Amino acid sequence: MTSATVSVVSETKESTVRTGRIVLYVALTVGAILMITPFLWMVLTAFKSELEITKFSWLPGELRWNNFVEAMQTAPFLRYFRNSLIIAVGETAFTLAVCTTAGYALAKLPIRGAKALLSYFILLLMVPFQIILVPLFLIVKSIPLFGGNNILGQGGIGWLNSWWGLIIPLGAAPLFTFLARQFYVSIPNELAQAARVDGLGEFGIFWRIMTPLIKPALITICVFQIEAAWNGFLWPLMITTSDALRPLQLGLAIFAQNPAEVQWPYLMAGTALATLPMIVMFVFAQKRFVEGMANVGIKG
Amino acid sequence: MSATLERPSPALTAPRTVAPGKDSRKLIRSQVRAGWVLIAPALLHSGIFIVIPVIFAIGLSFTDYSFGDSWAWVGFQNYSDLFNDADFRAALKNTILYAVVVIPISMAISLFIALGLNQKIRGLAFFRTAFYIPTVTATVAVATIWLWIYNPGSGLANGFLSLFGFAPSSWLSDPGTALPSLMVVGIWQGLGTKIIIYLAALQGVSRDLVESASLDGAGRWQRFVNVTWPALGPVQFFVLITSIVGTFQVFDLVYVMTKGGPGTETTVLVLDIYQNAFQALRLGYASAETVIMMILIAVFIGLGRLLQRADVND
Repeated sequence: MTSATVSVVSETKESTVRTGRIVLYVALTVGAILMITPFLWMVLTAFKSELEITKFSWLPGELRWNNFVEAMQTAPFLRYFRNSLIIAVGETAFTLAVCTTAGYALAKLPIRGAKALLSYFILLLMVPFQIILVPLFLIVKSIPLFGGNNILGQGGIGWLNSWWGLIIPLGAAPLFTFLARQFYVSIPNELAQAARVDGLGEFGIFWRIMTPLIKPALITICVFQIEAAWNGFLWPLMITTSDALRPLQLGLAIFAQNPAEVQWPYLMAGTALATLPMIVMFVFAQKRFVEGMANVGIKG
Repeated sequence: MSATLERPSPALTAPRTVAPGKDSRKLIRSQVRAGWVLIAPALLHSGIFIVIPVIFAIGLSFTDYSFGDSWAWVGFQNYSDLFNDADFRAALKNTILYAVVVIPISMAISLFIALGLNQKIRGLAFFRTAFYIPTVTATVAVATIWLWIYNPGSGLANGFLSLFGFAPSSWLSDPGTALPSLMVVGIWQGLGTKIIIYLAALQGVSRDLVESASLDGAGRWQRFVNVTWPALGPVQFFVLITSIVGTFQVFDLVYVMTKGGPGTETTVLVLDIYQNAFQALRLGYASAETVIMMILIAVFIGLGRLLQRADVND
């Protein structure tokens, strides 16, 4: 083969590679625009006047920052924010503690019936929350020795109208136990064996050797759980009766209550404010979140 | 997941290869003890807040309980009533239709985008964030945004179509487009999570294997079929399970956007359950409906597993 043919071959290869790149970028960019446009539309609407939203237009005539202020005044948004934050942090801490321990036990410790237990958690994954809504309400109401209940769980309101009720039942979803288990499985046992030889106990191995290696999984669980908590709607609505404990999404619902006279600019302003923290969190977490998730699989 | 599930965990088999000396038995006993201590909180929590409520719900499905004090055992009455209930049949049809359309489309698009994002490209952080934003946004917020987009008068959807000279559609109030309009939102919102999971899995696919395959002269497509696709097996199953549960649970979206209308065009199971339970206060009846839904989800997941087995055997 002459050097001329070699260079021709590599040139055509290069140009197909370049075309491929261009197609890739175009496809991803179009996709990204499709994903972002609704939010752009939301933000733009949030600045519009009542008059402007009666017909289709992209840009608001003037930026009505006042919409945000007025939306904030219509409901105690700061308190909703604080409540959502408490619920999100509480649920996430609880989830991390319960699900990493269970995931580790399922993945690495020779407990009898580990396979059956794993199937049990997978089975629980399939239980839609709405199915257990009513019984869950009755159970939370009957938690013994809380909210004026006696030891049999009668007489009071249990965990209704309390942080306990908002946080504990929705934390530690089986999904996260399963997720944690998948990550622990990928870490080789030799590491634990070596630590055992060095005299480290089982809990030490879990806490000091294995769990630091699944940090990316912990971030993943955090992001998923914070999201779930921040976006929760039906459960807080059911078990709280006053504004004092209610989270952001219920605040949003105030604006959307009557479809006939929705104040779109206010609703979009409120929605933008409720959405922003999650977007900011993801922008900061995304790198570790994704790359980390992947690293567990290979490095182990 | 089946690939991972079938393989006995190394932790379980390793001790058997060691001679059953006194030390190793002691070691295993301490491991078992630690195992039960570590898993106990999760078992306790899931027992109280999931298993007992599920059993409770199944029990209620055989009664005519309705939040009051008195109730009676009615056997399978609720179940036989359900299949004569036009609303339930519509909800069943719509839910299955929704799942069958949304799951394959969203899984295919997500995998495709994940493959794209797995290349060495610029602006990766931007793309990831763009695709993930809808997922981190509360469904209540997503629903209100799309309600506004689908607004027949001044919404984005009609405004966009008019650019190309199409007649405006009434989207959510037109029986022909109501359910597809919801499906679009469902697919759009659900892409992010699947992309992230696929992306993570793709980055876990052994580079060496891919490289050696390409050295052996395997093209892009062959590399995908022979190396990447099999490696994604367990993740596919995970995505499938969560997608099935997610699509069967669709509620907030429908509740905020259409309330099941027009007519029963967008009534889905959870909405019908909600209405039976909290508006008609027929808890027993609603519980029977939830039991049917659970069975349906189990059937779907079983089918998914069969499909995956067939795929692995190929």
